[in-house]
Amino acid sequence: MSINGYLIVAGIIFCIGMLGVLMRKNLIVIFMSLELMFNAANLGFVAVSNYLNLIDGDIFVIFVMVVAAAEAAIALGIAVAFYREKATVDIDKANELKL
Amino acid sequence: MEALFYIFSIIAVFSALMVISMKNPLTSALYLVLCFFTIAGFYVILGMQFLAAMQVLVYAGAIMVLVVLVIMLLNLSKIKKIKMDLHQIFIAGVIFIILLAEITIYIINGYPKKPTGIYTHALINKIGNTQILGEFLFTKYILPFEVASVLLLVAIIGAYLFAKKKS
Repeated sequence: MSINGYLIVAGIIFCIGMLGVLMRKNLIVIFMSLELMFNAANLGFVAVSNYLNLIDGDIFVIFVMVVAAAEAAIALGIAVAFYREKATVDIDKANELKL
Repeated sequence: MEALFYIFSIIAVFSALMVISMKNPLTSALYLVLCFFTIAGFYVILGMQFLAAMQVLVYAGAIMVLVVLVIMLLNLSKIKKIKMDLHQIFIAGVIFIILLAEITIYIINGYPKKPTGIYTHALINKIGNTQILGEFLFTKYILPFEVASVLLLVAIIGAYLFAKKKS
């Protein structure tokens, strides 16, 4: 399989993740769409690194996983704090800065 | 390999679509686990078994357990009632189509670059890809590795501060 197939699949998954971030209002689902985008980027890294006979892309995937794990802990902490404050996870209710 | 690639890509795209279209966040979470597993399958096809194992352990294991645990802490029946805005969906769809077209055109028209590295598939299989990743991680990428440990420490403290009750 040529590299284009992997890159196009990665692009489609990335776009679907972006669609989820833009159209959903549930904080948890937005977070899961973000994870989807991370994974699409990882797939692109591994595919290109495999094609160019390099290892650096694969190392970068490990760092992306570390950042994703840290981000998961923080984001879900924010979700729990938000739920405690508003009793919902609808992001339209986060409107304190609105004039 | 070719057939496996097509099967995996169909499952991956389908489950990604299901993640963003399901009303119940728990169903979305389970479809997301399916998507992570298919991406681990892609890694195996590309010859990176260690990364596939990390994908299953860290993403499908640790992160998704965290997500499901948080969904359990929240009130699910109230969360399901959150409605989507039709206007917002329309704008998001237009941006989705434009971005997808841009990416596809960019990938198809890009001219092929010659492979530059020495780590071919045969060499990686001969040395073993866990050993090769370990060598790179502890020699060339030692500074990012140390910084990543500090980042994880910050994440632990931050999660504690966000989740604790105000006294």
